[in-house]
Amino acid sequence: MGRFLLTRVLQAILVLFCVATVVFFLDRVTGNPVAVLLPPNATVAQEHHLETQLGLNQPLIVQYRIFMTGLLHLNLGQSIYYQQPALSIILQRFPATVELACGALVFALIVSIPLGTLAAVKRGSAQDRILMSIVLLGQCAPTFWLGIVLILVFAIVVPIFPASGIGGPTNLILPSITLGAYSMAVIARLLRSSLLEVLGEDYIRTARAKGRSSFGVITFHAMRNALLPVTTVVGLEVGSLLGGAILTETVFAWPGLGQLTVQAIKDRDFPLVQAIVLFFATTFVVVNLFVDGLYALIDPRVRRQ
Amino acid sequence: MGTPGRGRLNGLTRRDFLRRTGAVAGALGVVTPLLAACGSTAVSGSSKPRYGGTLTMSQPAAALTMDPQKQGDVTDMNILINMFDCLTTRDAHNRLQPQLATSWESTNSTTWRFHLRKGVKFHNGEPFNANVVKYSIERLRNPQTQSPIVEFIHVTGVNVIDEYTADIVSDQPNPILPAQSALFDGVMVPPQYIQQVGDAAFAKNPVGTGPFKFDSWRPGVQVAMKGNHQYWAGRPYLENLVIKPVPDAATSVASLESGQLDIVQGLSSAEAAQAQGSSGVRIRNVPGIRVYFVLLDTISPGPLHDRRVRQALNYAVDVPAIIKGVLRGEASQVATLIPHQAFGLDNSLKPYEHNLSKAKQLLSAAGYADGFTTQLSSASTNSDVAQAIAGQLSHIGVKVTTRVYDAQTFGALAKDNHGSALGPMYLQGNSGWTLDGESYLQSLIRSDRRSSRYNNPTADHLIDVEEGSVTSSDRTKAFTQLQQLLKDDAPFIYLYQQNLVLPMSSKVHWQPNALGMQSMVGAYMA
Repeated sequence: MGRFLLTRVLQAILVLFCVATVVFFLDRVTGNPVAVLLPPNATVAQEHHLETQLGLNQPLIVQYRIFMTGLLHLNLGQSIYYQQPALSIILQRFPATVELACGALVFALIVSIPLGTLAAVKRGSAQDRILMSIVLLGQCAPTFWLGIVLILVFAIVVPIFPASGIGGPTNLILPSITLGAYSMAVIARLLRSSLLEVLGEDYIRTARAKGRSSFGVITFHAMRNALLPVTTVVGLEVGSLLGGAILTETVFAWPGLGQLTVQAIKDRDFPLVQAIVLFFATTFVVVNLFVDGLYALIDPRVRRQ
Repeated sequence: MGTPGRGRLNGLTRRDFLRRTGAVAGALGVVTPLLAACGSTAVSGSSKPRYGGTLTMSQPAAALTMDPQKQGDVTDMNILINMFDCLTTRDAHNRLQPQLATSWESTNSTTWRFHLRKGVKFHNGEPFNANVVKYSIERLRNPQTQSPIVEFIHVTGVNVIDEYTADIVSDQPNPILPAQSALFDGVMVPPQYIQQVGDAAFAKNPVGTGPFKFDSWRPGVQVAMKGNHQYWAGRPYLENLVIKPVPDAATSVASLESGQLDIVQGLSSAEAAQAQGSSGVRIRNVPGIRVYFVLLDTISPGPLHDRRVRQALNYAVDVPAIIKGVLRGEASQVATLIPHQAFGLDNSLKPYEHNLSKAKQLLSAAGYADGFTTQLSSASTNSDVAQAIAGQLSHIGVKVTTRVYDAQTFGALAKDNHGSALGPMYLQGNSGWTLDGESYLQSLIRSDRRSSRYNNPTADHLIDVEEGSVTSSDRTKAFTQLQQLLKDDAPFIYLYQQNLVLPMSSKVHWQPNALGMQSMVGAYMA
């Protein structure tokens, strides 16, 4: 187990190193980054001043070393518009995105697990088809559209929830449904097919033969195995929930990292956008490292690899 | 956050009732904008001003800083104008009025003397006086501040004459300095407080002399302010003022309808129209100061080099039709580049009339009887107007291909090398915050200016007169001649000035001014 984790951690570090390198070279591939950083009417003197400040007049390999060292000291650059370190601005907004991603994941799991299970157990029946159609809707509905429709129906026509903004628990419901709908669909469908595969296995027949109730068979024996691929997908989904919250956050005026990204891009706040890219990449790698560890914990076969 | 619960409960009952009597809702939608246009603020029953209440307003973007000398955009200005005062100000009718300065005069061509208001204190108790003026303006001009505010670029310093008199000195004549002082060039900041806590802390915890005091700032969520009961002009009616970012237009309208917001700022007229007919909501239509026009490249060889062609284009474009069809009537035609509220406007000058035969005549005379092909660039926000113009020009044989850019890219290209990347014609908007003709013409006419694609020595001379003289009558004469010249020579296609469209709750009583800077000092909730 220890060796397994160590291998995974080293791989994660390698991935992060590569991402940082790619980001570094992307800045410079399109020409002088200073041209992007300064307003169009900047004077030549201002350009030279910023170049010196950013160390852009030094050899590329020296710049690379400075950049990487900066990252190790958690220096992700300075936002032009906020005039504060980019990392502190990101960390201010990150909790709101985490809150939203958790809400979305909770919604996705609460709906997808019973839905997927029921569909698998009643496979082929009308129930199965109806449930899978609902799931398909969740996968096809564009996030933007779903959010606005939910606001219209549940904040205006039948005013149960607030239309926008962060606040109490009621503020979290509509954005969570909007963000979680796609993940719900993916997990439900995967669980259904995974469960169907497991339910056909020999050990399930043995359990039934031993007199186990249907409910017991499903929850105790089948689910443990069926949830394995689902766990991996949930790990991927968390990554995309964190990053995909951009649209949901915009629709619901949710003050998270997604909204910050949109504003930073609109403002051409290049250092901030770069810092956000690095931050998201790191979060994604860390989350999946965690999921890999969880997977190894649940499934002994993985540990032996 | 106000009283959302109560609003919703009431809203549900009223909404149901009004939906059943749909005619009433429709009538409300028509009548209230008309009343608003007449300048009346009394729409609902009880309109007597009352103290107290919370007003929540939204903008499309979030605040970046609370330091008024470091901000460079409307979003921050709308918040900070409530916590800070400037030397002068614009009232609801756009007239320049005293604020922290009670009067001013020019003592010589490069010096303006300001007489200051006595008895004004900052929110932390610090006094306001001539030393504060000196400190504030020097901080603005200090390169270390890196202020994006540039109107005072020729100000060299401030002389303190006595405790309540200060001279602002420039290195060249500046007739519109008092008007520029109504913008954040003239904002007054507290010297003792800033020296005590430093720039970074001031940018997070501001102290000003304004009608509202800073309460809290949750970045990305909201800025909350409290009424300043000791405000020198009298306590504001509102007790709490909250400004939040809501980036999506549909969501902001929905939040207004559900009672979460009282005013929605920053919407285009199409977006604001979504709120039409909702109960408890009215849409205020206020003449704005943004003037739109098409810049023509008169210098490069081609059809646009000939004045007759340019005149033909002006005759061919039907501006009233564009205002009615594309802008929902929320604009008014302008003769040249100066809006109705600005100093220097020649009211007697009429805009080009729509006359297709005259246009075709002029084109033939110039040798383009069969028309020609050209290109019109615009930002995505105005692409509908650009398409309408292209359609109208096709009636005289001018085939126009339109190119659309996102707003940021368009702005950057327009500033680079006289906008050459945008082609021979591009659609542009321009706002002169000083409400003086000078600001509307400053980068566009004189041949050596940044956005100018025009070369006319007479125009250059007239610009020099209106920019260099501090005598009103001389400037007015120069402006009048300039506008006639601009109409005849037609280096632009002249269009319209846009209205501000502000959906708001009917509980709000407030007169927005044309600048669109949302100072809430006179606002109250019914």
